[in-house]
Amino acid sequence: MRFLVMLYADETTQSSPGDPGWDAEMAGYLAFDEIAGHAVVAGEALLDSTTSRSIRHDGGVVRVTDGPFAETAEVLGGFYVLEAPTLDDVLEMVRHLPAVATGTAEVRPLAELVDNSSTAAPEGTTRYLATIHGVETDDETPGTPGWDSGGEAHGRFGRDAGDAIALAVALHPTSTASTVRLRDGELLITDGPYAEITEVVGGFYVLRSTPDAIVELAGAIPVPDGGGVEVRPVMEIDG
Amino acid sequence: MVDPTASVEAAFREEAGPALATVAQLVGDLGLAEDAVQEAYLIALRRWSVAGIPDRPGAWITTVARNRALDVLRREATRGGREHAATVLALEGTPPIVHPVEDDQLQLLFTCCHPAFAPEVRIALALRFVCGLRVPEIARVLLEGEEAVAKRLQRAKTKIRTNAIPLSMPPPALLAERVPSVLECVYLLFTEGYAATEGTELIRTELCEEAVRLARLLARLLSDEPGAGGLLALILLQDSRRSARTDAAGRPVLLADQDRSGWDHGRIAEGLWWLDRASSHPSMSAGAASYVLQAAIAGEHARADTWERTDWPAIVSHYDQLAALAPSPVVLVNRAVAVSFADGPAVALPQLEALVDDPRLRRSPVVPAAMAELHHRLGRAGDAVIHARTALSRATTDPERAHLQHRLAELEAAVGANQIRPVT
Repeated sequence: MRFLVMLYADETTQSSPGDPGWDAEMAGYLAFDEIAGHAVVAGEALLDSTTSRSIRHDGGVVRVTDGPFAETAEVLGGFYVLEAPTLDDVLEMVRHLPAVATGTAEVRPLAELVDNSSTAAPEGTTRYLATIHGVETDDETPGTPGWDSGGEAHGRFGRDAGDAIALAVALHPTSTASTVRLRDGELLITDGPYAEITEVVGGFYVLRSTPDAIVELAGAIPVPDGGGVEVRPVMEIDG
Repeated sequence: MVDPTASVEAAFREEAGPALATVAQLVGDLGLAEDAVQEAYLIALRRWSVAGIPDRPGAWITTVARNRALDVLRREATRGGREHAATVLALEGTPPIVHPVEDDQLQLLFTCCHPAFAPEVRIALALRFVCGLRVPEIARVLLEGEEAVAKRLQRAKTKIRTNAIPLSMPPPALLAERVPSVLECVYLLFTEGYAATEGTELIRTELCEEAVRLARLLARLLSDEPGAGGLLALILLQDSRRSARTDAAGRPVLLADQDRSGWDHGRIAEGLWWLDRASSHPSMSAGAASYVLQAAIAGEHARADTWERTDWPAIVSHYDQLAALAPSPVVLVNRAVAVSFADGPAVALPQLEALVDDPRLRRSPVVPAAMAELHHRLGRAGDAVIHARTALSRATTDPERAHLQHRLAELEAAVGANQIRPVT
């Protein structure tokens, strides 16, 4: 069973390379790798949200704006896809993530995953996370015709985009989500997604693109009407 | 002659909870177990009405439901579901008669109380999968719409399935973290059963019995956890008064007026034993202490052979400790009431007045109802009526309204109602 762990943190207090806090945080993530490395299917840290661009689809009109798709107190800073037998196993790993001690993690089961990351990236490209936002409806859950037709649209996008796609993930609805914080050594778990927003994350792609082409590429991702895509560069950490 | 459908229904109801839990454990899927037990019910209705109820209806239901679930899994397996094939193989190796075991219900209770569920989801899941109630019954117990309950259960089952939330007890390392929500849920099952509402008497009695049974299982399983012993003591001591707390017409009888010979002295003795055991535990979390202290308060009432001989100073001291743990407004109100009996209503009145503006109590009838009693005891009949009216205007349920209405009438009779100006 595969789970997505989305890590949310307050950007204003976050460290960046060179800060004293940075090394401690990196040490924390290395320690997490020791414990949970075997379970990590994928995982990326993102550049800060000022580098985000949002592409909204509104009745055939496409608008591109700077900044995140939804305003939340804490901002998505990275994610992991973990392979584990049960939610309990995921929770045991997640409690060791540095971001969970100060920020919040949302854990959501994966409905589908296509991992293309072992193929060679197209020349001159860097990676971007493209999260798909939209209003959740009951007829777009796995096993329904709405879900299947959505799947076909993403299949077409996948064929068109080819090697530009490193990873494609579809998520179960937000009612299957759990939110996790670690405070004073105690794991606090709540029912439901991190933020109560109408345009929730339904899935995401990791795309390989040049800065010039990314908006056009992400704009071709099928989204529910009124929804959209937020793209943000992935932090490339050497070594 | 007894209606055969009714007796089959009654026999089935008693066994359905354990059977559902056992089948869910065996097949590893709550939805499949639910459907299978429902089919077993339809078969029982046909067969038992003719051939009579079998000697061990629980074993019968469990076996039939297990076989139904097995049929479904076999069909899935032939369509290529590989994980189903493994379950089928494992199941075919189990003996034909499967007895529902208490352990299975306890295991499922931990699943239902998983911290990834909101408290209102946990209680609905526990009522369905541990107590075996059906959606309309759960809706009546929780005073909610059937559709809302059905939807909540459906979502929770999807969450269990998609997250592979285990249908078993957590490993020892996680047990301590999971126990509080399990204890809370069992106490909630009890209080839902204990809060008498018309028309659902049968279900409510069953819920109280079920809560006592689950609390006993937990206290034995978690013998080193004072919270479990404290909860069992609390439930037993409160439940000992169940039959004395309503009169023949179903109206509530106040503690002061209850016939104490009607209390269940077996439960009181058992409750006091667990209370002693839990209170002497060397280390206690705040959550555990809260059950133990509440049980200690119930224990003081249980020990007093008359209302007059209640040890109020001891009760006030227990409330002081409770308030130190978590100064909830309800604890503070109850403490003030205890003070009124320990030190007199004049001492308690300012303590209640200090709570009047608490935003958490502003819509509740609790404070004005208590103030009405204090004014009444101080001989201020007019003030008593004014507060009793405020209390009545805040009643939310029919039994509460009836009770406050009745008390208001008594207080008005004491003063002559036409001298009182209405409160606006």
